[in-house]
This record gives sequence, C-alpha cells and structure tokens, in this order.
Amino acid sequence: MQIEELRWTPLTGWRTERGAGSGRADLVIYFGDRDALRCGARYAELRAAYPDAHLIGGSATATILGGELDRQNVVASAIRFAGTRVAVAQLDSVTKENSRACGEAIGRKLAAPDLAGVFVLGDGMGVDGSGLTAGLNHVLAGACLITGGMTSDPCDYTEALAGADAPPASGVVAAVGFYGPNIRLASGHACGWDAFGPRRRITRTSGNVLFEMDDKPALELYERYIGDEVGGGTGSGVVFPLLISPSDQPEHAVVRAILGMDKTSGAMTFAGDMPEGWMARLMRGNLDRLALGAADAARQICSSLPQNALGDRLALIVSCTGRYLLMGQRVVDEIAFARDELGPDVRCLGFYSYGEIAPADRASGAELHNQTMTIVALAEIEG
Amino acid sequence: MHRLLAHQLARVTSKSGDVNLAALLDMVSQAYAEADLDRRRTDHSALVMCQEMEQLNTELHKLAHHDTLTGLANRGLFREGMLRQLALARRDGTSLAVLCIDFDRFKNINDTLGHHAGDLLLKQAAERMRSSIRDSDTLARLGGDEFLLLQIAGSQPEAAAQLADQLIKRLAEPFDLDGEQSYIGGSIGIAVSQPDGSGADELLRNADLALYQAKEDGRGTFRFFSPGMDLKMRSRRIMDQDLRKALPAGEFELYYQPVVNLASNKISGFEALIRWNHPERGLIAPNTFIPLAEETGFIVPMGEWVVRQACAAAAKWPEDLHVAVNVSGAEFRNPGLVQVIVGALAASGLHPTRLEIEITESVLVQNKETTLATLHQLRALGVRIAMDDFGTGYSSLTYLQSFPFDKIKIDRSFVKDIMENAGSLNIVRAVVALANGMGMTATAEGVETTEQLDSITSEGCTEMQGFLFSQPLPVQDIERLFLSRSRKQAIAERSFVA
Repeated sequence: MQIEELRWTPLTGWRTERGAGSGRADLVIYFGDRDALRCGARYAELRAAYPDAHLIGGSATATILGGELDRQNVVASAIRFAGTRVAVAQLDSVTKENSRACGEAIGRKLAAPDLAGVFVLGDGMGVDGSGLTAGLNHVLAGACLITGGMTSDPCDYTEALAGADAPPASGVVAAVGFYGPNIRLASGHACGWDAFGPRRRITRTSGNVLFEMDDKPALELYERYIGDEVGGGTGSGVVFPLLISPSDQPEHAVVRAILGMDKTSGAMTFAGDMPEGWMARLMRGNLDRLALGAADAARQICSSLPQNALGDRLALIVSCTGRYLLMGQRVVDEIAFARDELGPDVRCLGFYSYGEIAPADRASGAELHNQTMTIVALAEIEG
Repeated sequence: MHRLLAHQLARVTSKSGDVNLAALLDMVSQAYAEADLDRRRTDHSALVMCQEMEQLNTELHKLAHHDTLTGLANRGLFREGMLRQLALARRDGTSLAVLCIDFDRFKNINDTLGHHAGDLLLKQAAERMRSSIRDSDTLARLGGDEFLLLQIAGSQPEAAAQLADQLIKRLAEPFDLDGEQSYIGGSIGIAVSQPDGSGADELLRNADLALYQAKEDGRGTFRFFSPGMDLKMRSRRIMDQDLRKALPAGEFELYYQPVVNLASNKISGFEALIRWNHPERGLIAPNTFIPLAEETGFIVPMGEWVVRQACAAAAKWPEDLHVAVNVSGAEFRNPGLVQVIVGALAASGLHPTRLEIEITESVLVQNKETTLATLHQLRALGVRIAMDDFGTGYSSLTYLQSFPFDKIKIDRSFVKDIMENAGSLNIVRAVVALANGMGMTATAEGVETTEQLDSITSEGCTEMQGFLFSQPLPVQDIERLFLSRSRKQAIAERSFVA
C-alpha cells in the first residue's frame, strides 16, 4: 500500500506533501472545507490527477493530515493497493426518514464474500446517522468492520456534503468497501469524558429532541447539576454531553452532544437520536482527559497494525466537532497524543465530524457516537 | 497526570533532546488548573446529587408509609404505631381500641358517578374522620373504602363506642361531589386490647370480625368483638372450604318442586332447587350455604352446574313442561352468564322456551343496566323470565315496567298469612291484579293448605306451588310420581293426599 498526501489551500492550490505525485492510485480519500468543495472544482481536479481511482470524501469543520490540523483547506490521501480491491457506492436524496433504508441499500451494493470493511460518509446535517448505521448493520453486521463518520460544516449547521465518484453534495451517503485477504482493518474509539450523577431513564423525546428524564423536565435537571456554567447555547452542551445506552446494554453507551436548548419549551436538541427508554448520565469534559482519550483510541489499534505491513499504513481519524470546539487551541494535543501512540511512520488523514461510526466493542455492530475520537487503521500484508 | 505529562514532555523537547522547562511548567500549571476546575465540578455535582438523593429518600419514605390519595397513614405505618402503643399500654396497664371502618354503599358511588367521584368522597370522608379524632389517635387507609383507627383513651370501651357513634353520624352526612349530593354510611368493628396483652395481629383480626358482624346486622352501626364472632367466622371458613370440594365430589343434587296451573289443574313445570348432601352433616338447606357462595363468588360455577343439570333433566320431560332456575345477582355480574345458558341449552337440546330464569328484585337494584341487557339477550333466545319473591323487597313498580317479565311469583310470606291477615290478602289481590293487568302469570308460592289454595284461586292466581301439592323432590321421585302416569291422575291423587 503506497500513499501520496495532498493539500489544497486557496492560496497555493493543490500541493503534493508526500509522495511523487504519480497520478496512480486505486482510492483517493479527501476531506475539506465545505465552501471549497461545493463548487465541484476540487473534485474535478482530483479526478484529473487520479483518473483511475475511486474518489470518496466530504466536507469538514476541520481537517487532519499528518500531524497538522487546519480549516479552509482540502486534504487528500491517494492510496495504491498491492492486492486489495476497492469499490464505492453512493445514494442521493437521503433524508432522516429514509436513512435506515439507505444504509441497507449501501450495504447490499457493497456486500461480497471477501468484503473486509466499509468506511461510510453521510451528510451530517441531512442524514440520520443512527438510522444509517442501523441499516448497514442489518445487512453487513458480523461480515465486516463498519466505520465512518458524518460530514460536517464550518459550524453554521446548515449544509454538509459527501460524495463517492461524484462531486460532493448534500443529502448524500457515500461509502467505500475494501475486499480481499490482504487488507488489515481495525478500529478504536475513546471519549475521555467523565460520566457523573445517577442513571436516569429517558422518558419523553421526539427524535433527537429530549424533553424529560425520569418524567421530569430534562433541562431543569441539567441546569441544577451544571449550575453557573450553563450559559445557554451550544457551548455548554459541548462541555456537558449525555452518555446514553440501552437500559439492558450499558456497554453499548454512546455520547450525545447538545446542539441547543430552549428554555421556554424545556427542549434540548442533541446531535443524534435520543431513544425513549434508554438510560442517560450527565458527563463533564476535561481537556487533558479528552487529549488522553485520543491517545487511548490510538493505543487500541496499535496492536492491530501489522509491523510487517506491505508499504504504508494509514490511520483514518474521525473526531467529533464538539471536541474541536471545546478544546480550542489545545485540539492539536489530541492529534499529537494520538500520533505519539501510533508512531511517526503511520500516515494520518482525518476530519472533525458530526458523528462517528464504529463498533462500541469488538463483539458488536457499528454505532453512531458523538464526542469521541474514532481511528480506523488500514494496512496491507503480503498475499 | 503522569501519562499527560509524558505526552506533553514530547511537545516541549527539541530534536536535540533539550527540554523547554518554562513551557513544561506552563503545561503543568494548566493541567493543575484543569484538575482544580474538574474537582470543583465534581464537588458541585456531588452536592446536587446528595440533595437529590435526600429528596428522593423523603419522597420514598412518604410513599412507603402513607396513602397517596388521602395522605393518611397506610397499613405499615399504622401497624408500627400500633406495636409501639401496645407496648406502652402493656407497661401502663391500660387499653387501646382498634376501629375497623368500612363505608356502606360506597361501590354505588363508584359505579354510578365514576372513580373520580369515589376518590373525592374518600378524601372528604378521610378529612371528616380526621377532624373527629384526637392528635394521639392514628387514622389509616388500607385501600378502597377500608380504614383503621387506633384510639388511645383511658376509659375503654366507652370511649371507643362514643367515637364510633360520632364517626357513623359524620359519615351519614351528605357529601358534595362536584355539586352532586351523595350519601354513604359507615359500619365499624371495634376490638379493645386487654391489659394482659393482646397481639397487634389478633386485635386487627378481631376488629375485622366485629366489622363483619356490624355489616351483617344491617350496616350503619358498630359492634364490639366478642369470642362468638370468631367461632362463627371459623365455621364459615370451614363451610367455604367444604363448598369448594362439593362440586367435584358430586355432593350437590337438584330437587324439583312442581308448579301447577290452577285453570287446567295440570303440572306446567318444575322449579329446580339445589341441595347439598354433606358427607358429615347430611342434607344442608340452601339458605345455609347460598349466601356464603354468593359472597365468595362460588355461586358462579355452582350456578353453571345447576342450569346444566336442570336443562339436561327437563330435556327428558314432556315438551309442555318447563323448568325454572334461580339466578343470583353475582351470576348476573359474571359476563359469561348468557354463554353458560346457551351452552346448557345446546348441550341438553332443551328448547329455550322451556327454560325459565327466576330473578329477585335485588338483582336489578345492584346493577340495573347490565342486568337488563342480559335479560334482553336471554329473552331474545326465547328464555322466559320470572320475577321471584315479589313483595318482600323493594316492590318497585319501575322494575316491573323496566322489563316485560313473563311471571310474578308472590312470596310465600303473604300466602302463609292470607287467611288471618287482611293486609296479606290485599297484597296478594293487588299483585295478582297487577300481573293480570300487565299480561303476566301470577304464581303463588308456599301454598300449604286447601284454604290457602281456595283463597289464591279465587283471587285469580294462575299457578301455585307448595307443600299442599308436593315438596321439592329428587328427580327420580318426580319422574316416578308425576311423569310416568297421566299427570291429571297424579294431581288428583296428590290433592287427595293433601
């Protein structure tokens, strides 16, 4: 597996940061600023540069390439496999209502006996990540590793793009499948938030809007616990997300960041569905523990990255925009801490997302997470 | 902190290995500041959590010890207080009284005005009772309309009697339920502890037995426990156990009493009457066990057995003879009654017009709407309906108007006095006129003498039954005496015998 790394900025245009710029690749994965991608020119340029490759990518709050984290640019890794086949699939006009069916359709398109893994990107504003993941699980769970993330925007929460072998657009789910015996895939994810207070039952919701826990107004309870730090708006929610899990499966816990709260109606809007009957705990953030969480995610996949890999090894990093907003300048720490664990030879590409998709543990299907860092390791071994 | 610093050290170490100590110190300070903030958040959330747990604890304690509707103590809290007070009473050689209170006709409020009105009444009644007792007394609600009161007073049993009397008066006053004036009553059973030590459970049980007696004695009154009540209750319990075994053991038997048409001088049918051949006590009359069976609900399976047996027997008789079966209020409350009757008719092949269901007025009083609906269903099948024991209960003409009965049966108490008591004669005359006027058959029950027979015949009764003609007899005797020969001849012989 050989990787070329490219970066586009408004000032410099495309530059190859690593590799020869050979123009030969099987797969190009890219992430970038929404406004830079929306016109379709970046896609056309990548297509021209790698005419034989499948292209998959989407919009992001911020991008990760190597150890660098940036906004208003586009980053790409062009991968040439030694013996691994890849295929992509895309569905347009996906809505929150048909997301599950879309997940199933994508799963059926990519399914094959030698399918080893799927990396999926969904429009983080228009697509229901939980439904998408459930659909993929329905068709593929147990057959391969399902990972991915929900694309994001410059935090104006208006439009997010994704695309596979087509210019990225909204309402799209794009996915790539990796096939054959030589590819090695592993995923790790960690959070770094601390859950606190008693477990409460989610008793009244509507989709991703929470009204009551234990039959009491959720916002009232939230304000009581958070005290003076509740300033309203998204900022507080990012600091204090909720850890939710099915009542009989606490091990399948996912973190939900608060997108907004309405003091008049008592409604709290979260980045992901809030199923009634699930249990919830308040969480609090600590910048140091968040950074160490990233290191934990990296550590989980280190042992799965073969030392005798054929050529380059790639770490696809999907980290939550909520972490980016909370950590501010120290967000570089989480990338640095993760790279400390991965080692300097592992190539890193990633983006800040509106939801991360990865299995909660080795035994279960994929789930939509919030506020986590998810890392997917790709490597090839000799066939 | 250690892992964090290990990662941060890498950030401030140059390629040559020099460490920027000032930058590292900054990072360490920042890490401590973060940890402090985190600790403050932890402390705050722990404090809120403690407050929340305390609040929950208080709520749980209240829920566990109080009745949520009235706010009164519940059985658990009452029992705790009672144990404490009993210990004190034993120490001081004093007595205390337990009053078991039950409302009369409360079910009517729930049935007619709904459960909201029932709840409203319970709250008002609880408040009235609470205002009638002293602070040292404890009032508890056990559920439904059952209340317990623990009275701490020096002079027992006078103090308990006085309080019970006062409570009954207060409960008899009208209740305003959302503008609707409603009335209930109260029955109270009282047990007074003995200075030498009555146990809490024994006192509660005794008060309950006394309440039962108060209810049996006509409600709206109070009774003190006496040891005889205990014996009575025990014998009831034994009879209940025996009753439940009697059906599978085949101890029940149907007797049949002929009903004679006075115009044709022919037997028109038989009334089926249950008897219990108790293995130890011999033949037991129905008035001994039917009230208990009605109370315990055993009447439902027993009634099903009766109707099946009666239909099966009548199916073998000549086609112009009917069979009458008594059906109680408890059976009418059972939604499966029509199905039971349909099943019995189908299994026996008896034509529905040959089955007569006898009900008393009390069945209609208890649940008029449902009973009427069931009666109409039965009538639609062809089953005949008779009003039994007319004149003894409410004798309300509206009940006669509410359903087109086929027959009125005049109670035996009027027939018995008909020769001596002009009042009884007038009642028989009025009921017969009423029946004839409404196109119903009038049947006189309990005819024992030829004088009574002459009298009811001259008053215009259509049918009679009674010892004058025949007492109730087992089915084989009925068939031998009345059905194997010409029935006219049989009647002539019976009349002669009488």
